[in-house]
Amino acid sequence: MADPRGRPRQAGLPPWYLAPWYPAFWYLALLCLALPAMPAFAAPLDRAILAGALCGDGAAQVGAAEGLVRAGGDLPADDLAYAGRLLGALVERRLACLPDGALLLVGQNAPEGQDAVTGARRPAAEARAPVLGLRQRAAVETARGVVALLTEGTPAARAAGLAVLERRITIVPAAVLDRARDAESDAALKGTIASLAEAAALSSPDPVRRRAAIAAVAASPSGAAAARLDALKSDPAYRADPAFRVALDAGLAQVRRAVAIGDGLAIVYNGLSFASILFMAAAGLAIIFGLMGVINLAQGEFIMLGAYTTYGVQEAFRRFVPGLLDLYLVAAIPLAFVAVALVGIGVEALVLRHLYRRPLMSLLATWAVSLFLVNLVRVTVGTQNLQFSMPAYVSGGVPVYADFVMTWNRLFAIGFAGATLILTLLILRRTPLGLDIRAVTQNRDMAACLGLPTRRIDRLAFGLGSGLAGLAGVALCPIYSVNPGMGSGFIVDSFMVVVLGGVGSLIGTLVAAVAVGGANVLIEPISGAVAAKVIVLVGIILFLQRRPEGLFAVRRRR
Amino acid sequence: MSGAMQTIRARPAGPALRAVRDPLVAGLVVLCLVAAAALLAAPLAPYLVNALGQLAAFAILAVSLDLVWGYLGILSLGHGLFFAIGGYVCAMHLLTHGAAVTGVLPDFVQFMGWKTLPTYWAGLDLAAYAFVLALALAGLVAFVFGLASFRSRVNGVYFSIISQALVYVAMLLMYRNDTGLGGNNGMTGFPLLFGWPMGSPRVGTGLAVAALLTLAAVLAGTRLLVGGAVGRRMLACRDDEIRLRTLGYSTTRLKLGIWCLSAMIAALAGILYVPQVGIINPRVLAPDLSIEIAVWVAVGGLGRLGGAVIGAVLVNGLKFWLSAAMPEAWPFILSGLVLLVVLVLPNGLLDLAALRPRPIWLRRGR
Repeated sequence: MADPRGRPRQAGLPPWYLAPWYPAFWYLALLCLALPAMPAFAAPLDRAILAGALCGDGAAQVGAAEGLVRAGGDLPADDLAYAGRLLGALVERRLACLPDGALLLVGQNAPEGQDAVTGARRPAAEARAPVLGLRQRAAVETARGVVALLTEGTPAARAAGLAVLERRITIVPAAVLDRARDAESDAALKGTIASLAEAAALSSPDPVRRRAAIAAVAASPSGAAAARLDALKSDPAYRADPAFRVALDAGLAQVRRAVAIGDGLAIVYNGLSFASILFMAAAGLAIIFGLMGVINLAQGEFIMLGAYTTYGVQEAFRRFVPGLLDLYLVAAIPLAFVAVALVGIGVEALVLRHLYRRPLMSLLATWAVSLFLVNLVRVTVGTQNLQFSMPAYVSGGVPVYADFVMTWNRLFAIGFAGATLILTLLILRRTPLGLDIRAVTQNRDMAACLGLPTRRIDRLAFGLGSGLAGLAGVALCPIYSVNPGMGSGFIVDSFMVVVLGGVGSLIGTLVAAVAVGGANVLIEPISGAVAAKVIVLVGIILFLQRRPEGLFAVRRRR
Repeated sequence: MSGAMQTIRARPAGPALRAVRDPLVAGLVVLCLVAAAALLAAPLAPYLVNALGQLAAFAILAVSLDLVWGYLGILSLGHGLFFAIGGYVCAMHLLTHGAAVTGVLPDFVQFMGWKTLPTYWAGLDLAAYAFVLALALAGLVAFVFGLASFRSRVNGVYFSIISQALVYVAMLLMYRNDTGLGGNNGMTGFPLLFGWPMGSPRVGTGLAVAALLTLAAVLAGTRLLVGGAVGRRMLACRDDEIRLRTLGYSTTRLKLGIWCLSAMIAALAGILYVPQVGIINPRVLAPDLSIEIAVWVAVGGLGRLGGAVIGAVLVNGLKFWLSAAMPEAWPFILSGLVLLVVLVLPNGLLDLAALRPRPIWLRRGR
């Protein structure tokens, strides 16, 4: 309540000064209204005085409006609403002035109206409706903005009031903005009000308030905050006022440190999400390669098929159960796995089965399959990017620290990759199929001698690897653009992951995916995306000099 | 063991006759020479001349890949890189030569706002220097990459996908505009070739004849190579590298030498290709194009030099024709052709020539 700027001028006023008949009375009354430090005048609005002032001359009108703006933070809501009605009537020329009061008319030139103070009906025959001049209109609009911001029922109307205030933010007191911010229920509007209040405080002429504002900005660091504080360095006060300079430098250092940490977190997060995608793409490749020595060049297209299956599921949901549309991503998980696994089993049965003794030819064959699939999708569905509706759980994000926002779509991909890793490990380690796959990977001839149907295991494993690619397609839908050519984008990266990780080891694939994804994301801000790829490739070739079998090679006999 | 050595030693005929022992290669060499002579004697329509010259360049490229894949068992999915090295150096020569004569800087230099060509373009207007540089650069890149790979015994599918990554990274690199090599638009608008205006029919004929003669020379030379002792070592290395190494041969040196030779032949194809199409851009570095080279070889017949030539001519002829006539269907036809060859004709279309009259669907086993 105690305003540091409160000037004890009123205390010295002689009593006659306040008499209603004294010409300066109105002016002084409004001055009192303007001083929130004087609770005796500020708390309850004298409605008669306000009505009289609005009926007065231009100076009185401006004074009344500006007084309302200054006192707006403390006035009770019903007084504000009352003032808003009066001001609105004034602007619309529905305020009629009589020598002993003011009338609120229903419309312009209505024959009678309500008394502004008592509410009684009175004829408006000799009343005059004041016309606002340019200066008065500006002041009145500002006052209406304050009233709207503080009392209006809908966020849109409050936002409109705020928009009016934004243009004259220097004369709006902090109390008004603080009160509006505290009372605001709409999150977006609340943010706007807060940033506006902050900006107003930063440019405030009062040094104490200014330093407090700097501390407040520094307390919630972001790149924008750093820029805002940095801009203050060119302020004359930075040179003139040592306290201000110290406060600004300290605040700026704090913000910069926090932003650096936040950016670091963002890099780690992006690296992790890129690594998850790489892992999903490479896991299937690694299983197939470890088992059969075949690199599936169509793996990227299997990912694309997974994404298109997801799209098909979304369209089916939209047509048949629109109410559950948000669940389509979840429903697509098993469907994409099964659909792409079936395609993979088909390719294995028709093509690859014949090529196990000629692995280099299997490269050409799978390339032909990928060419066929890409063009099939291109002809049947079209080349355009598919439009996905984003359920709430993969859109937006939560700000974690400084500029680092944890976006849900990437978190979805990371979580998805984690779940896939655990499931695949369980399949490989805990199921009979996994046992068979591991046995054939380690020693095909011995496994065959022990009676394992190695060909059937090959086929099932190929289905598993393809299905994993389909899952990668589902995870990609919220992040990447989905089109027929999407598979070729990161397929070379996932090959590198397989080569680096070593044959037949899922953990190796995981470590290699994290390494390649992390290296890409780390190097990219320093020297560009292309240089990152070059460095990663050279690094892998150099690494293979030391360990040609990759990071985690399974000992085996072929 | 000694018997095997004996049979190898017992091979008759001197080196000059060995090329003749492969009637396919000999026929193709003669055909190239005849075609070159015919072009000089009776000029054809310019677009036919151009198509012939391009096919010859592709055939050289296919031979270079067949040399390492068919005879050493090394499938490179990155041969487009060496082709592009030859092409880029050739384009740089043509542009500097044109700039030296006309005084007009190439488009992309103006586009980047530079006043002069980058310094490493110096001297490229000398054709001999450019030629040597192209071959040396391709050989050097192949040497470094090959040494790193072969020394650590990276082979088979591993080698293939790493070479694919190599060409992919090179493509990304060339798409950048600040490399001084034309960026994503590449280089085009070559005004002159040895002082002759580029578009004239005489230059077109000359280029096609040069490509045909080079193809004949490359065919004859590689045939001599694979027909000799080195060729037998290459086949031994392909079929059982460990045994060859155990016998005391340095397989790394053998593979590295042939690999570099193959890269230089591919660069030669690039040198001949670029003036004929009048443009080079990073799309020749797309991994798909490098795989297509392997498709030509596989279609024509792996491990036979004549087969590579036939495959390159056949697939590219089909592509010229079909990608204009029915562009939608071409990828399907290509993938179908690859699957057919890979599954039914493991030695390529030359299998068909070796068939008895008995139809293919009645044969049992392969």
